[in-house]
Amino acid sequence: MNNKDQKYFHALQILADNCTGCTACVRVCPTEAIRIRNRKATIDANRCIDCGNCVEACQFHAIIPRSDGLDIIRNFHYKVAIISSSYAGQFSEDIPYSVAKQALYELGFDEVAEEAMVTDFVIRMIRDYVRQNKHIRPILSSSCPAVVRLIQVKFPSLLPNVLHQEAPMSILTRYIRERIQEEKGLVESDIGIFLIVPCVAHVTAVHQPEGTYKHLQDGAFSMGMIYGKVKEHIKKIQNNPLPIKTYEKGLTWALSGVEADMIDCEDIRALSVNGVENVMEVLSRVEDHYLDQYDYIVLRSCTNGCVGGCLNIENPFVAMSRVKKLIKEASEPDSITEQLTDLYKEGEFKVAPLAPRSIMELDKDIKNAIKKMKQINEFLIMLPGLNCSACGSPTCYALAEDIVQGRASIDDCVVLLKRHAKED
Amino acid sequence: MAEYWHIVPEFDSRLQEFRNSNPEADVVLEFEIAEKDFVNSGKGSAEVKNLLKRLGVDPDTLRRIAVASYEAEINVTAHSKGGKMVSSIYDEMIHIAFRDKGPGIGDIDQAMVPGFSTADDLVREMGFGAGLGLPNIKKNSDIMHIVSERGSSTLLEIFIFYS
Repeated sequence: MNNKDQKYFHALQILADNCTGCTACVRVCPTEAIRIRNRKATIDANRCIDCGNCVEACQFHAIIPRSDGLDIIRNFHYKVAIISSSYAGQFSEDIPYSVAKQALYELGFDEVAEEAMVTDFVIRMIRDYVRQNKHIRPILSSSCPAVVRLIQVKFPSLLPNVLHQEAPMSILTRYIRERIQEEKGLVESDIGIFLIVPCVAHVTAVHQPEGTYKHLQDGAFSMGMIYGKVKEHIKKIQNNPLPIKTYEKGLTWALSGVEADMIDCEDIRALSVNGVENVMEVLSRVEDHYLDQYDYIVLRSCTNGCVGGCLNIENPFVAMSRVKKLIKEASEPDSITEQLTDLYKEGEFKVAPLAPRSIMELDKDIKNAIKKMKQINEFLIMLPGLNCSACGSPTCYALAEDIVQGRASIDDCVVLLKRHAKED
Repeated sequence: MAEYWHIVPEFDSRLQEFRNSNPEADVVLEFEIAEKDFVNSGKGSAEVKNLLKRLGVDPDTLRRIAVASYEAEINVTAHSKGGKMVSSIYDEMIHIAFRDKGPGIGDIDQAMVPGFSTADDLVREMGFGAGLGLPNIKKNSDIMHIVSERGSSTLLEIFIFYS
């Protein structure tokens, strides 16, 4: 997986042979990053936030999520898998969670860790951060990479509000890498740490993390990609399961609402928002200072949180119900909160200030931007206002802008073309 | 007729200049505000905000404009019989005028006191009417101008310069 020459990496691939130019992806992109040109979809890498909407909208398997091939784990002496909390929701209830976890050892991993192991610590860390940054309200969650990129692209004025600490799976990566080096006497490059992820944005975040100071993961595997193999192993081991420790109590992280409930306390008021359209609406309200009464806002791009990721197998609501059942029936797990707290105090989880990815400006110079805005308005009056996307731009406004920016022509409008044909 | 001015001193001369030359706006946005229509209220200021983002107005100024225009739009929705929001965008500032159909502000100085509100129950039920609207607009504007008469219409003007 390399296209390092591009400024922004994206874990998406367009298979031009499959693309029919149907515009389904164009219409669902929250940042208007996709255009159909020459009857094929193209993605503007500066605008894409890896939300995965286009992957779900495409019926022709023309937009394919990319993730690493499982064989890359062989490059490492000691192989660790970290599973997203949403993993637990992907299996029918006759399969115990411990068996689903054991199956990952069968894939060749020496150690399998869970995002859920750090939940208790992360809740405390967030509360501490919220209390220490009283001058900033509300604090916005940073664990969803699509949301972080959305803020960089469309809401740059809110970047100072973003929680500037590593996300749970990266915190766990830091802790595990250090622990294994000590315990096994291995050097850093011997250890391969991989994430099993529910969404495109997490694959992107592994390959191009934002603001991170440290060496984090060595690859990311899509839930959907490994699912078949995992199911095969489950069949084999189901009758002879090993006693494997699991951390169901921390699975709350997969559910955006439950995360907010856990952070909410006497002096911290938390709000939970999920689904990229809702997230955009709420961020706009935050911009207007209309939600300053909240101390912390959990923002997740997918429905219900990570259980809604587009690389998952199960429906987000069914997966959520299963995860909730596991949480309810769980016993108190061993805690690594103390060790993590020490690392936190040493500043190990800090991230660099996030920089904007400004795509909104029509021009660097405001006078030119105004000129372009006037031109856009002139074209807009000519266009039919149907927002049909048949030209390959998502709306008439977007087409007018594309024309002014030299990326399209008024002749791309099918409706105008038809009208003119009739007049002739 | 009552009139109220709030002018941040450094912008006084620029206001005079503006009034003397009366320049034509580069872009004008108009938005109708209907009485008690809280479902759509806020859309006018959201449109202005998105347009200014496209022009590359700096984030801090953008947020001040967003807050002032949103509060003013809600004011017209909550307290008047409806009105119109006209945003005139220039290359160094924005001028937004809210002209409503009445019933006018009885005592502007009193309305400027934080916490003073004449909001009715419906408005309060919607979560508005805390009496912070006008003070908040003032706080975020470089220049604020109100002309009103009890029983007649109100004109609220906001000027904010980009930094």
